[in-house]
Amino acid sequence: MPKIVFDQVSKSYGSVQVLQPLDLELNDSEFTVLVGPSGCGKSTTLRMLAGLETITSGEIYFDGKPIGHLEPKQRDIAMVFQDYALYPHMNIAQNMSFALRLAKVDKSEIDTRVKRVATMLHIDHLLGRKPAELSGGQRQRVAMGRAMVRDAGTFLFDEPLSNLDAKLRAKMRTELAEMRNQIDKNMVYVTHDQVEAMTLGDRIVVMSDGVIQQQGTPEELYKTPRNRFVAGFIGSPTMNFMDGELTEQEGALWVRGDGYLLPVAAEAAARLASHGTREVAIGLRPSSITNVINGGAPVELQIVVSEYLGAQSVLATRCGSNELLVEVASAVPIQHGTTQTFEVNTEEMMIFDRETGLRL
Amino acid sequence: MSDKTYDKQHPAFFALLAALIFMAVGPIVLMFVNSFKLDVDIISGTGGLLFLPTIQNYETALCDVLWYELDHMDFCSLKFGGAFANSLVIALVSTFLTLVLGCMAAYALVRFKFMGRDTASLTTLMVRMVPPAVLLVPVFGLWNNEFCIGKTTMVGELIRDMFGGRGDICLAGTHSGIILIYVAMNLPFVIWILQSFIVQVPHSLEEAARMDGANPFQIFFLVVLPIIKPGLAAAAIFTFRIAWNEYLLASALSDRDTKTVPILIVNNMSEFNVEWGVIMATGMLLAIPPIIFTLLASRQIITGMTAGAVKG
Repeated sequence: MPKIVFDQVSKSYGSVQVLQPLDLELNDSEFTVLVGPSGCGKSTTLRMLAGLETITSGEIYFDGKPIGHLEPKQRDIAMVFQDYALYPHMNIAQNMSFALRLAKVDKSEIDTRVKRVATMLHIDHLLGRKPAELSGGQRQRVAMGRAMVRDAGTFLFDEPLSNLDAKLRAKMRTELAEMRNQIDKNMVYVTHDQVEAMTLGDRIVVMSDGVIQQQGTPEELYKTPRNRFVAGFIGSPTMNFMDGELTEQEGALWVRGDGYLLPVAAEAAARLASHGTREVAIGLRPSSITNVINGGAPVELQIVVSEYLGAQSVLATRCGSNELLVEVASAVPIQHGTTQTFEVNTEEMMIFDRETGLRL
Repeated sequence: MSDKTYDKQHPAFFALLAALIFMAVGPIVLMFVNSFKLDVDIISGTGGLLFLPTIQNYETALCDVLWYELDHMDFCSLKFGGAFANSLVIALVSTFLTLVLGCMAAYALVRFKFMGRDTASLTTLMVRMVPPAVLLVPVFGLWNNEFCIGKTTMVGELIRDMFGGRGDICLAGTHSGIILIYVAMNLPFVIWILQSFIVQVPHSLEEAARMDGANPFQIFFLVVLPIIKPGLAAAAIFTFRIAWNEYLLASALSDRDTKTVPILIVNNMSEFNVEWGVIMATGMLLAIPPIIFTLLASRQIITGMTAGAVKG
């Protein structure tokens, strides 16, 4: 299981640069998730690692050895494709054993390995069938089984769950997380779904516009996002952003905007003091706003829509001209169109530079 | 529901259907019936179905392969057996070569980026636009005068010693000469039809094979080729039938020993007599191999070969 290092790797198609020079380290036996919106370059990064795309400049190292010029099969990697890419003319056992047969592995050895993986993925009863006779979830398992049979050092997943329906996706996600703990391999996983990223990743790399925005553990990304993009991308429902201005009143730092005036927590105020800018945007997670009044910073919100989700409800509200999502317990009755006083946990409020988007 | 849809058909629909069936089956029935009549019955004008069936025409047609002596003729001028073998060899070999070259060329044209790809793709189709009759004279000249091994050269003498003969060893009059022109004639069509099949093979399948450690040849032969099998079958049917039925080029390029069945049939016509019965009987025999070939090949034509490979 090699340590994978990207050194100033970039990718251009003609004159279009889709990936800015990027540095990335994937540690041994770590589950790394590349996450970002469509077209952010995460799949390109993965495909360059796989050897399916050429590297325009820079180099990728496996344990210090450059591998940028190597064919995929020389890199000791297995990949699960977004659209499964099962060979339609082979049955499941043949699909799974294709790589081993090409590598001229002993026949009995192939059999035992296919059986073992198939049992592990609960597809051992399907081995004689053709891909066309399987359901989406089963095909997904076969695609994963095909990669696992290889016993490669590094596993690559290219949005493997994006073609499944929501329920199945959640189930497979859990199984993947379970599998992750069983298999001691490097895994690189690409997804645009931040929930998948959060639940699966030991480490998450957030990408946008061909640039790595931030990398870290799920908790780090959630609690201390580096910029507005990461803050908005991680977390569900998404973070609310409101433009505001820093003002000083009665010796304390406040942030004032359309329809609100909120105090800045002491710790953040200390950091902001050194900063010149007054033009900011505040970020509030929907869970940081509550309708349980407990002596915190109050804010008046007009409730537009209430989405009942069971134990929780998500309220679409208006604060001045800003739209704000609020997550509250469903126990408290909510009336549409009314204006109510909510309370903001200012400790969890994040303040971003409006110009650069960096968190202050 | 199904009953209703049948009830609603307009009578004209059935009339059209009957006309189509008549047009399709009529000539074959006519040929089949007449192949069992004596020439006298065929041209007598009574034309009805009342006649004494005879297999004499078939006996005449097959005179060189029959194991018994025929009463009604003293000399067997028709070499059906030989011509049939020629036809079979020429059609099968040219079909095989066309498919092998065609699928590789089509794959290269679809998947590889190289200079002049679009031009190459277009010109293959343009070759198809040239009528075979236009090719006939130049090909005849080339095959007879240019593509020859001189009788005085070493190779030429070697062949001369082994097979005999008088003049230079030329492509004209050989199986290879006819096969070559058939391959050239059918290749554009095969490339064109296979391109459309290869385009449908998902890219990710080839990438998956690459990840599984397959080299380009393994990707082509183990993954792409089995998937486009229906396309290969369709192309095979067309090329086989064209090669089997072709008359014009074969008539000019074949010699006594390499003539094909269509040429043989025409040999039954002379300025004195047209032996309709024998022509019909040979025609019936000629029709059998393409039917068998089509039946076998069309089994491979199943739709949805890529089903289950990738999600929507």
